[in-house]
Amino acid sequence: MSVAEAVQAGTLPGRVWFYSNYHCNLACTYCLTESAPSARRRVLAPATIIELAGQARRLGFTDLGITGGEPFLLPSLPELLTELAQVLPTVVLSNGTLFTEARIARLAPLAGLPLAIQISLDAPDPERNDELRGPENFAKVAAAVPQLVRAGIRVRVATTVEPDRLDEADHARLCELHRSWGVPDEDHLVRPVIRRGRADESGMGVVFDHSQIPAELTITADGSFWSPFGPTVRQGRLDTDLLLTRTVDPLSRPAEALLALVGGLPAGADAQIGIR
Amino acid sequence: MPLVELIDHRSAPLLLRELFGGDDPGPIVGALAQVPELCLVTLPFVGAALGPSHVPLRWKEIAILRTSALLGCRYCVDAHTVVALDAGLAAEEVATLRCERPDTATFTDPVERALVAWIDEVATGRGPVPDHVGAELRRHLDDHTIVELTVTVGATLLLNRFATALCLPSSPATLQRLAAEGFR
Repeated sequence: MSVAEAVQAGTLPGRVWFYSNYHCNLACTYCLTESAPSARRRVLAPATIIELAGQARRLGFTDLGITGGEPFLLPSLPELLTELAQVLPTVVLSNGTLFTEARIARLAPLAGLPLAIQISLDAPDPERNDELRGPENFAKVAAAVPQLVRAGIRVRVATTVEPDRLDEADHARLCELHRSWGVPDEDHLVRPVIRRGRADESGMGVVFDHSQIPAELTITADGSFWSPFGPTVRQGRLDTDLLLTRTVDPLSRPAEALLALVGGLPAGADAQIGIR
Repeated sequence: MPLVELIDHRSAPLLLRELFGGDDPGPIVGALAQVPELCLVTLPFVGAALGPSHVPLRWKEIAILRTSALLGCRYCVDAHTVVALDAGLAAEEVATLRCERPDTATFTDPVERALVAWIDEVATGRGPVPDHVGAELRRHLDDHTIVELTVTVGATLLLNRFATALCLPSSPATLQRLAAEGFR
């Protein structure tokens, strides 16, 4: 079975993720990659991402994702996103704290393209959100999301919580917030903290086996991984347990390695812990 | 201390999990596992080149231990001293292959004398192997055996430099056995 056939059959997820960089202006308590301002940057060159995105489309993948670190710390990210969204529908993950008026203006070409910015917000009030994500995070997100929506850019809001810690009242308040910002319910994701990286150090999150999470091919400066939850960092050391290959170009090399591994899993084995 | 991190079974990459099988398979695999796709093709090759085959294991161990000693690979000399003893080589023969004796007179079988001379030239020589060394080996061995033993020397050279450059450590069990056999 080819990659394209596997994607069409639903055997292989259609999205390819790229870790654009590992550094971040925040240092969230549950961060998978121990990202922080001082983290080693491990930048994946934009030209490499664009080349591999084209290969992904030719192989039969259907979507792209950019994550980090904080991707918007890269000066050329708006231009990179504009190019990627013309290759395949793209989602970029962000902490939402860097959207100055100047940066939002540079994102204008993205309006109308198949691109979404997925911004993290973990609690409906500044105190609890900022305890996890850093000072003034809530206020910055609350300011950025409506501006992005007004600029014609699709925004998704992602809430990452300890399993079973988000009660109905909090969930309802979060939904009121994102609706008031112009983000519809279908663009609000709630997902569990994963016990890897900094979350593992602090005893947070859900423990999982790789077969319980979608096999979304993930490309980093250090190689390819089973999922964006794979290239995690603990005490400054990259985890290799979900490493596929160090070779990422041609993309067919890690894609075929992933396909071989996925072939051994029963249908529907992923998504058991709702990380999609 | 190894120059690079040796991957253990808890960190084994997905493509290699079966290979690790819940244990740590030693420092060569632990280092190679840093590059799973390379590990996957290297190990079968090394296994075929150094492992059991139609060529007598004794000859293969002569090739491996002698090459390793000539290259000064502490890790491979340690490991294959044990393997050579287990393959039935006498302690005096092992000492000779480890270059601890001034000549190779311990080996009296003309086939093995020709083999050791061939190994010495292949492992340490530059340029062509002298004609008389090759001719003497061909008097005793057929072509496919010569080819395989030459590959054994070549694969050993690869591992010698790999293990030496990366400072791979001998296992405590190997060191204990060497001490018990009087090789430390």
